[in-house]
Amino acid sequence: MELIIILVVLIGLGAFVAMLYNRLVRLRNAYKNAFAQIDVQLKRRHDLIPNLVESVRGYMTHERETLTAVIEARNQAESARQQASGQAGEAGAMAELSRAEGSLGGVLGRLFALSEAYPDLKASENFQSLQEELTSTENRVAYARQAYNDGALNYNNAVQTVPSNLIAGMFGFQPATMLEFEDREAIQQAPEVSF
Amino acid sequence: MNRPASFNFAEHQRRARRQTMLLVAAFLAITLVIAAAIGLLAGVMLAAGDQAGATQQQTTAPGPESMSPASLLQAMDYEVAVIAGLLVLGVILLAAGIRSLMLGSDGANVAKSLGGKEVTRDSTNPSHRRYFNVVEEIAIAANQPMPRVFVIKHEQGINAFAAGLRPETAAIGMTHGALASLDRDELTGVVAHEFAHISNGDMRLNLRLMAMIFGLVALYVAGRMAMRATLLRGNRDQRAAMAGMAIGLALIVLGGLGMFAGRLLQAGVSRRREYLADATGAQFTRNPEALARALKKIGALQRGERLGNPHGEEVRHMLFADGLSLNAAGLTATHPPLVRRIQALDPAFDPETDPVWSMSQRDMMKQARVGLPR
Repeated sequence: MELIIILVVLIGLGAFVAMLYNRLVRLRNAYKNAFAQIDVQLKRRHDLIPNLVESVRGYMTHERETLTAVIEARNQAESARQQASGQAGEAGAMAELSRAEGSLGGVLGRLFALSEAYPDLKASENFQSLQEELTSTENRVAYARQAYNDGALNYNNAVQTVPSNLIAGMFGFQPATMLEFEDREAIQQAPEVSF
Repeated sequence: MNRPASFNFAEHQRRARRQTMLLVAAFLAITLVIAAAIGLLAGVMLAAGDQAGATQQQTTAPGPESMSPASLLQAMDYEVAVIAGLLVLGVILLAAGIRSLMLGSDGANVAKSLGGKEVTRDSTNPSHRRYFNVVEEIAIAANQPMPRVFVIKHEQGINAFAAGLRPETAAIGMTHGALASLDRDELTGVVAHEFAHISNGDMRLNLRLMAMIFGLVALYVAGRMAMRATLLRGNRDQRAAMAGMAIGLALIVLGGLGMFAGRLLQAGVSRRREYLADATGAQFTRNPEALARALKKIGALQRGERLGNPHGEEVRHMLFADGLSLNAAGLTATHPPLVRRIQALDPAFDPETDPVWSMSQRDMMKQARVGLPR
């Protein structure tokens, strides 16, 4: 009789642990998947920038420095993206990605502010459609980041609260790092500056 | 986006969801009560017939005391009542099922029947390009598959719809007037509202309610058929004629009442789902002010709400603002009053002083062109 009770309790406990474990895995997959979406959108953003620089080069003859800075920041952000690609939620990679994206946003903002002084550029259809694509990409990055942060928060809540924190400790589930881009204002301002 | 929003979308969503559940429960309860009432009546009629038959054999005239309701209930065959009730329920559900199969076409077809032209990824029209981009952005925010995108040309009013029963077959449509009069953020707010209808399953819910109403209509039709059949057959058998008339009358009255109550409940559900879609859309964009501004522009262009299309009735529910009537305050309105919706999103809204509420379409179009190539 006692044996049966012990067995039932053990099976119940095992099922409970399995349930918690599965939940953690599901949440981890969800935020990793959300990060993959950010990755896609950042890539799109980085691919647009050389086009942008090419199309403004002819007009902004006096801003070579800024253009070089944009390209440099873009290359750094692209390599940070590639670094972070397989490491969603990992603190170092996330910090480097936020820094690189933040400074790219900053120089892009400067570029758009300078474009104010070039009416021909502003009137150019190519520039305007590039601007629309960039605005859209910024928004996609922001929405994807929102989804990623929501996912990371859900996952972290599970990793850090009783009882699933016990399971998380046992099986080595690390908390995920949120993604905040420094200089976010500049990123969002960027497309609006040229109104 | 990402502005700190004072608008508590989670609370608004919870309230709208709870109210929808109550309304749908009331709808189902009404259907069950109707089925039970008809079942009961059938049981009683049969018992009355038997009693009348029995008394006829004993004496020449049936005594009135033997037909009293209490004795009828006592003599009633409960098995017959249950079977008749289930039969009625079966008729309602069958009619509803057939109807929903007929209505369940995919979103693109609905959009085309409204005169929508599809916008694709390689559109070169700058405002269409922006529109398509915005839909792709919200698809990411809502974590939903990309719907097909349509424009209703030659329509100057501000309006939008979502159609299709599942996210995979959904379509989003926007009038030309909406694309020309809303700026990028406002457009995003409207697209997010329509996306919310898709992800909350509102088209499916509405379809089910419409199908159930059709089931009650079928009951009404069956009642009329029963009446006519008894009248045509003449009074060969007094008993059968009386039973037929009573059941037919009951079907007509209860089916009719059910239909009427069903329509009111459907409109009530629809109004709740509009608030829910506003709140869910605000969750996607984290920018309730932009959606409120779009609604204010609709209010400013009162004529913008009317959609000149004979198919309007079918998609009524999906329209962003009530597409058919300006009087949106009644019990049968599918959308809540505009002012109330705006106030839910922007509590500081005051129609007397709000600048957007009294904007001209020309100013709107000027503002909307910002950021687009000429």
